[in-house]
Amino acid sequence: MPALLSRMMLLLILMAGGAAFASLAGSKTAGVGLGVVAGALIWLVRDNWRARAFADWLNHVRDKPGTPPPLLDGARREAAERIQRLLRKQSFETEELENRLHNIQSALQASPNGVVILDEQECIEWCNRTACEHFGLDSRRDLSQRITHLLRAPALVRRLAMRDFGEALTLESPLATATHPLRLEVQIFPYGHGHLFMLSRDITAIEQAETMRRDFVANVSHEIRTPLTVMSGFVETLQTLPLAEEERADIFNRVAQQTERMKSLVDDLLTLSRLEGSAPPGIKEWTPVRALLERLGTDARALSAHIAGQNVPRHELVIEGMDTSDEIAGSASELQSAFFNLVNNAVRYTPPDGKIVILWQAQPHGGARFSVQDNGPGIAPEHIPRLTERFYRVDSSRSRASGGTGLGLSIVKHVLQRHDATLAIDSTLSRGTCFTVTFPAARVR
Amino acid sequence: MTEKHLSSQFDSDLNSVSSRLMEMGGLVETQIKRAIHSLTYFSISEIDDVLATEAQVDQMEVEIDRALTTVVARRQPAARDLRLLLAISKITSNLERVGDEAHKIAKRVKSLVESGEARQMPIGDLRVASDLAANLIHRSLDAFARLDVGAAIAIYREDDLIDREFKGFVRKLITCMMEDPRTISSSLDLLFIAKAIERIGDHAKNISEYIIYIVHGTDVRHSKLKGIENIIQ
Repeated sequence: MPALLSRMMLLLILMAGGAAFASLAGSKTAGVGLGVVAGALIWLVRDNWRARAFADWLNHVRDKPGTPPPLLDGARREAAERIQRLLRKQSFETEELENRLHNIQSALQASPNGVVILDEQECIEWCNRTACEHFGLDSRRDLSQRITHLLRAPALVRRLAMRDFGEALTLESPLATATHPLRLEVQIFPYGHGHLFMLSRDITAIEQAETMRRDFVANVSHEIRTPLTVMSGFVETLQTLPLAEEERADIFNRVAQQTERMKSLVDDLLTLSRLEGSAPPGIKEWTPVRALLERLGTDARALSAHIAGQNVPRHELVIEGMDTSDEIAGSASELQSAFFNLVNNAVRYTPPDGKIVILWQAQPHGGARFSVQDNGPGIAPEHIPRLTERFYRVDSSRSRASGGTGLGLSIVKHVLQRHDATLAIDSTLSRGTCFTVTFPAARVR
Repeated sequence: MTEKHLSSQFDSDLNSVSSRLMEMGGLVETQIKRAIHSLTYFSISEIDDVLATEAQVDQMEVEIDRALTTVVARRQPAARDLRLLLAISKITSNLERVGDEAHKIAKRVKSLVESGEARQMPIGDLRVASDLAANLIHRSLDAFARLDVGAAIAIYREDDLIDREFKGFVRKLITCMMEDPRTISSSLDLLFIAKAIERIGDHAKNISEYIIYIVHGTDVRHSKLKGIENIIQ
């Protein structure tokens, strides 16, 4: 009220002032009237100017809420103050909302799963980095792109079209290649008004493990069935046919061979399960390398002779580093079996008169290397990464004929893992293969 | 994919045709993948799927063409919209042929597996080329969705790689056949497979040409790479 009063007073004073000025100037009634009008005009201009300033400030304050209002009076000042308060509150709330949104986005970003948020048109609204890696999306460029334009797998397109989001979907990532398989489990959750939340999970490793387990069971059954089939055939022959003594002896021989084969298979399986089930050998027990190498040499010569069916070995066997006094920390029997498996492979796969070099060498920076080098047929590069898989065979007909169980290198791998050692395989086709075992410094003295 | 029009119905028509095209692309991609899988592992378990998808792809080609006719008749599009619709029509027929090539590969693999001689053949190089071709088709469809001219030019460049692989492979097959005439029938199968793979690469290249056409309005078919780069700049 006082503001209104003061404004009216100001108007009156201006009008009266105008009239007084006019009367001073000389004229009478007309002059007074003119003075009143002039005073009112001045007031109008001033008021308009202030209104303009207020409007200008309103324009400014929208972008910068901190701008101070111009000199105002009365109702306008009150309005300005209220507007400013409102704007401050609003900007604070916006900031808080933005922070919260940012927090949620960072949480989704940190998720190990791929997250894609789709709007009601199935266009990408937001996606996290993992989703980009899973689907080959670009988190900036592909926004508002329809998801089915980039993920064109028919199974996914069908699900989206039918809006059937019940079960998870297994897809191959568009980025998957022969060398880097990438299998994804995708689950879609509808939310809000037709929005979709898409989660993707990398299940490559899980699927591989599952396949390996299935293969393992199938392989074991197959490996056991083969000798059993052979034996049951012989038993049937013995039961039904009258045979000469020599023939019977021959059959018994073969049955003995098959039982031997089954026995070694079961032995290897038991070794593997023991290796997996027991605690790794500590570094208390020290095994002299020299004894290991000596025994390896004897066994290798015997094997070479045995394969050739003679009394003298058919391969040239060289053992280097025999004079070492090094010792390895770990289980002597496990190491012996791992080393012998490597030598065994070399002897079996290298043709007669080939050369096999067994080497023990201390490394300059501690640790030591054990290697078995042959000049046999070599292994094609695509097989090398899979060699230590159970029952993996480069050439199934040959290795079974030579009496392998398909478990040798898995045993080697397990034993070496338990001794913190690593296995490197280096091979050139028709040149030969070198298996190198590297022991860390802590395991060698 | 397209800019906004005054008529939102027109937008949704264009979008739905594009989506149909991408859906067809997805089908064709799976077809190629399955054909390659059966080639790599000599398994015939997925071949029937490839053969069955063929009918679906053909059906989609017809449907997309019909939808295109309707849009053109109703909206009488001009400029970029017209180019988009024309390109979609061409890409559809390219994709349909890619499907045919996948179909051919599957059939040849079947005959190879049944003959039982395939194991000794130099299949490794073919695997590399087929992965390349599948990748090109995938990227050309991505480039279409994003209308990405840069990616389209990259595809244009890489198609040469497949052509080179193809020539090298043919030379290898000739050696194989000269060394052992018994491999001739499987070599011929492999030759047809290699040719199909090479054609898939060519179709990817065609698709990338249409992408340049949509965005820049220039027809770059039958022009050299250098010329295309000049046009783009």
